[in-house]
Amino acid sequence: MKSLLSTLVLTTALTMPGLAMARQVTLTTNLTSYGGDGAYLALYVTDASDTYVGTLWMAGGKSKYYNHLTGWYRATGGDTAQVNGITGASVGAGRSLEITLDLADALFDAGYTLHIDASVEDMRDSPNEVSVPLTSGGRGTLVKGRRYIADFSYDM
Amino acid sequence: MKKTLTMLTIAALLPAGAALADDDDCSVPRTQWQPREAALQVAQDNGWTVRNFEVDDGCFEIKGRDADGREIEVKLDPATMQVVEMEYEDDDDDDDDYGTAVGNPAPAGTVAPPQNGLFGTGTPPKVKVN
Repeated sequence: MKSLLSTLVLTTALTMPGLAMARQVTLTTNLTSYGGDGAYLALYVTDASDTYVGTLWMAGGKSKYYNHLTGWYRATGGDTAQVNGITGASVGAGRSLEITLDLADALFDAGYTLHIDASVEDMRDSPNEVSVPLTSGGRGTLVKGRRYIADFSYDM
Repeated sequence: MKKTLTMLTIAALLPAGAALADDDDCSVPRTQWQPREAALQVAQDNGWTVRNFEVDDGCFEIKGRDADGREIEVKLDPATMQVVEMEYEDDDDDDDDYGTAVGNPAPAGTVAPPQNGLFGTGTPPKVKVN
């Protein structure tokens, strides 16, 4: 049923590109109770050849800490222009970050991967805690993190 | 003698702090580390009040207050007890951003998201923390 739906979504998207250019996607990141300060999180996307494409959200406002989001930092050189207008507060331990955004349809089922780097002051950096392919079929699937992130999922 | 040396080293290093700021990790093998008491001794010699002591990025890190009562965060080389980095916590213009607090990104809602091809429209993301 799900695959039928996906096929339908895909074919609809293909046949009616003018009507389906963007979709509302909700990204939910649940943090573990790691017992530390608020976590900095960088949510960013790479393409099929693992090249950085862009950032979807940056949780944490001080750029001086961005070098601890090592994957993101390596890809961007710490360029804050990448996160202008998509930056918010860091996320406390045990909290849940829910981001709703309009994403380009072309992002799904095209080899793109969403990554999350995490960092907490005075605790170990955790680049690429979550790495999940963006597919229509992957919606609603819980992906487990390693250190600060309990799980992540996207829905649309 | 060792103490005098340490003091001298610190005195020599403090003004050069800015030049060293971008290299604030330590990579000394653990076998060469001095005991934490040595770091606490450095703190005592400088009149620092230690609130928290830990190992960060391979360095000894002391958080507390300096002799004037300002909040400080000091990283020491675990082998030589040299100051690798010293920050005043009440000072946003710390060494990490080379004396400029400028450079923080614009918060969501104040400007449109970047045109990186990921966003379908210019609508700012909505965020909820539960």
